[in-house]
Amino acid sequence: MTRWIEVAGGALALALFAGAAAAAGPSDAQIAAIVVTANQVDIDAGELAKARAQSPKVREFAQQMITDHTGVNKQAGALVTKLKVTPEPNDTSKSLKQGGDANVASLKTLSGAAFDRAYVDHEVAYHQQVIDALDKTLVPSAQNAELKALLVKVRPAFVAHLDHAKHVQAGLGK
Amino acid sequence: MIDRWLATMLACAAMPALAANQTVVIDGTAFAPASVTVQRGDRVTWTNKDPFPHTATAQDRTFDSRSIAAGDSWTWVADKAGTFDYVCTLHPTMKARLVVR
Repeated sequence: MTRWIEVAGGALALALFAGAAAAAGPSDAQIAAIVVTANQVDIDAGELAKARAQSPKVREFAQQMITDHTGVNKQAGALVTKLKVTPEPNDTSKSLKQGGDANVASLKTLSGAAFDRAYVDHEVAYHQQVIDALDKTLVPSAQNAELKALLVKVRPAFVAHLDHAKHVQAGLGK
Repeated sequence: MIDRWLATMLACAAMPALAANQTVVIDGTAFAPASVTVQRGDRVTWTNKDPFPHTATAQDRTFDSRSIAAGDSWTWVADKAGTFDYVCTLHPTMKARLVVR
């Protein structure tokens, strides 16, 4: 009985702690996992689009997403190693991964112009989401100065990608 | 000995002013400084400190670096006077200006 109360009390304390942590925003280890996942999801979609897109402009854009996001992840990986932070998967990183997998699965059912449009539409929405997450959650929550600086430094690239994706989107027509 | 020293000094004096070097750093998906003025004949070097490629491409294509890989540099000898607005063709939000006098 005493043991049960201890366990239950422990679980409650843990839940409260988790709640407090969620309210305070993600930890640096969680932010690291979110950043790496966000980049990887876009690389995965890019790999599919590079192979399957019809429009050369869409294929070029996809190749650039692979190159840029791979570069950002390399830099994030180097920083995480330097800071001795182990990326910690969390609800946000898991939902990013699930969303990315669902997008790839849905794109795989399409071809030709329909594929191009769906891929580019998703890229526009995705980059906007990532920018919002950077502004509202990731940058304000980051504790380590170097991690925060990396997030601030990569933000303009995401803005440029969004701009570029919108440009490609406009070129595809209706 | 002194003759040789004199000869060297005279040779140096006879040389035209050395061309200057100007560096533009590409970092955080931006050109810094965003506006640069150089003299004709100067060397302008763009150094990419971002972890992915960029270009420095004049709108009128007077110069075009093509892709400058992460950590690499590209130099243009400013052999044409004018005001050149340039961009990174990969990241259209990156805009800057080079003035060659």
